[in-house]
Amino acid sequence: MECLFGIQGDKFALLVADTSQVQSIVVQKTEEDKIMLLDSHKLLATIGENGDRVQFSEFIQKNILLYQFRNGIPLSTSAAANFTCGELAHALRKNPYFVNMMIAGYDSEEGPSLYYLDYIATLHKVKTGALGYGAYFILSLMDKFYSKNMSLDAALELVDKCILEIKTRLMGAPPNFVIKIVDENGAREFAWRKSVEDNTGPPSSAPAPLTPVEVSSQA
Amino acid sequence: MSITSYNGSALVAMLGKNCFAIASDRRLGVNFQTIATDYQRIFEIHEKLYIGLSGLGTDVQTLYQRLKFRHKLYQLREERNMRPETFASLVSAMLYEKRFGPYFCEPIIAGLSEDNVPFICTTDLIGAKQYSSDFVVSGTASESLYGACESMYKPDLEPDDLFEVIAQALISSVDRDCISGWGGIVHIVTPDQVITKTLRGRMD
Amino acid sequence: MAMMMPPRMNPSDSASGPKQHQSWSPYDNNGGTCVAIAGSDYCVLAADTRMSTGFSILTRDYSKIFQISDQCALASSGFQADIRALQKNLDARHQTYQHQHNKQMSCPAMAQLLSNTLYYKRFFPYYAFNVLGGLDDQGKGCVYSYDAVGSYERVGYAAQGSGMQLIIPVLDNQLKSASPLVLPKRESATPLSESEAVDLVKDTFASAAERDIYTGDGVEIIVINAQGVQKHYMELKKD
Repeated sequence: MECLFGIQGDKFALLVADTSQVQSIVVQKTEEDKIMLLDSHKLLATIGENGDRVQFSEFIQKNILLYQFRNGIPLSTSAAANFTCGELAHALRKNPYFVNMMIAGYDSEEGPSLYYLDYIATLHKVKTGALGYGAYFILSLMDKFYSKNMSLDAALELVDKCILEIKTRLMGAPPNFVIKIVDENGAREFAWRKSVEDNTGPPSSAPAPLTPVEVSSQA
Repeated sequence: MSITSYNGSALVAMLGKNCFAIASDRRLGVNFQTIATDYQRIFEIHEKLYIGLSGLGTDVQTLYQRLKFRHKLYQLREERNMRPETFASLVSAMLYEKRFGPYFCEPIIAGLSEDNVPFICTTDLIGAKQYSSDFVVSGTASESLYGACESMYKPDLEPDDLFEVIAQALISSVDRDCISGWGGIVHIVTPDQVITKTLRGRMD
Repeated sequence: MAMMMPPRMNPSDSASGPKQHQSWSPYDNNGGTCVAIAGSDYCVLAADTRMSTGFSILTRDYSKIFQISDQCALASSGFQADIRALQKNLDARHQTYQHQHNKQMSCPAMAQLLSNTLYYKRFFPYYAFNVLGGLDDQGKGCVYSYDAVGSYERVGYAAQGSGMQLIIPVLDNQLKSASPLVLPKRESATPLSESEAVDLVKDTFASAAERDIYTGDGVEIIVINAQGVQKHYMELKKD
């Protein structure tokens, strides 16, 4: 029962995703990071079919980076979102990716922005959005408590309300969530909300997270 | 749920005296869940040509982008804007290309010719064109829209009156369809200007 | 995961499973549209006079309106054979009531009887979409709208049949009935005068006949008020 949601606030955008890796009835891992850094000022959070999710998000990340290398300038959030949507749309009638996602980014002129992108490539710029079964419980919560240009503290209160609602009311709710933020200082992990500590598994053998190349023209 | 009613939509266009109006609802949904209330379904191709696309959201976006691209190419080659009739043929051809794996969209094309004669036309999802001299409708609320437009429409209305008629027809119709609504947007296009108004109806 | 199932891509598919041959159905749809509007002291009931089957017209002057009592009439669209049987059933019950109580049934009482009659055949329903109209005990207009198995509600106006979706938004727009959930309870009757209501009905039928292939030929309108029952008729398009 994966959950993913995002909020755009005053000069920042937050993405929150659950961190459970599930196969059939088994929870394989409780610290799976589903929010990827696309570059210094962009986040891509994905939920959906396991293989597609990781493959597609890595593919997008590498292509965003490739553009940066080729052109010496990073993509805007809107361009990155539209590129991702295009890739999904292109694959839709051939070999679709069953991945729902939200993209958050910060541009110097535009400010923060948040995009909803579902698996059939419906792209829409939103202020709040949610995907997964959790959406049934928190969309109305966000409608009620969201206000334009929320401060970070207020947004975090809302995030905690949403996480509590999911944990209370969703059957098979994930125990742990990761919160990542993107603002003028860049995209970074902000906090975790953990109910379950998993110290039993082997240390993660994933390579160190990619440090995006800093391009001087990004303000 | 059927694929054409997955996202929910309602579109209508009407002919007036030397003007036309095109209106749509604002809801974007996923089955019965509402995702956004500011979704754009009517797009400007050039200042006297508008296209409204109903049906599956992803195909609305893809089709709009492809049509915008083709029109820009046309502008570069011909150094002028496309006439509405030509554009309607382009839309029809592009849809029929995908005859056995179609775009799940039913477009409405509305425009003013060079001598400012208004033109409206709709096609089905595989490009069968239907010209009209009064109004065209599209979307999940289309049956209700047919009834409302048939009752309320009069030929040769001035822009202000045309706005009233199209707004009332749209609002009454989407109020009886649970997957379209959440307000409306109307563009009234005359030879001199484009007036855009948003409508507030039942927000549910 | 139910959420992740892609929407069914084939728009014509409505059922999964192996394709089967057409089997015999006890029902047929004879088409047509019925409308009723309740006023402060009158009730207008109207139905088109076309009877069709498939894409063919069986007759152009079939009456879908049945006068049950002096104060109550039933307009039904759907399968006319079932509707005929339903009308005879109600008529018989009404005659029995008259013998037993020495008076005619009131419209609200008939409304309940119709609901019970329909639900009695819950597991082999009357293919009838009914609109009952008349005057209630206070002499005000009342209209009741039904589904095929007897679920009913008193409303200010109603439409049923093939042209229902075309007509109802126009009635909503003109009559602006409040939701029954709005408190304090509002009158179900409309503020229109009798002649305005009849004109509205004529206009809506003319519009429905344009766009609905099963509606046309003519519209039979009856008005029930304190003076009794008056009939009107208007020609519609024959195509």
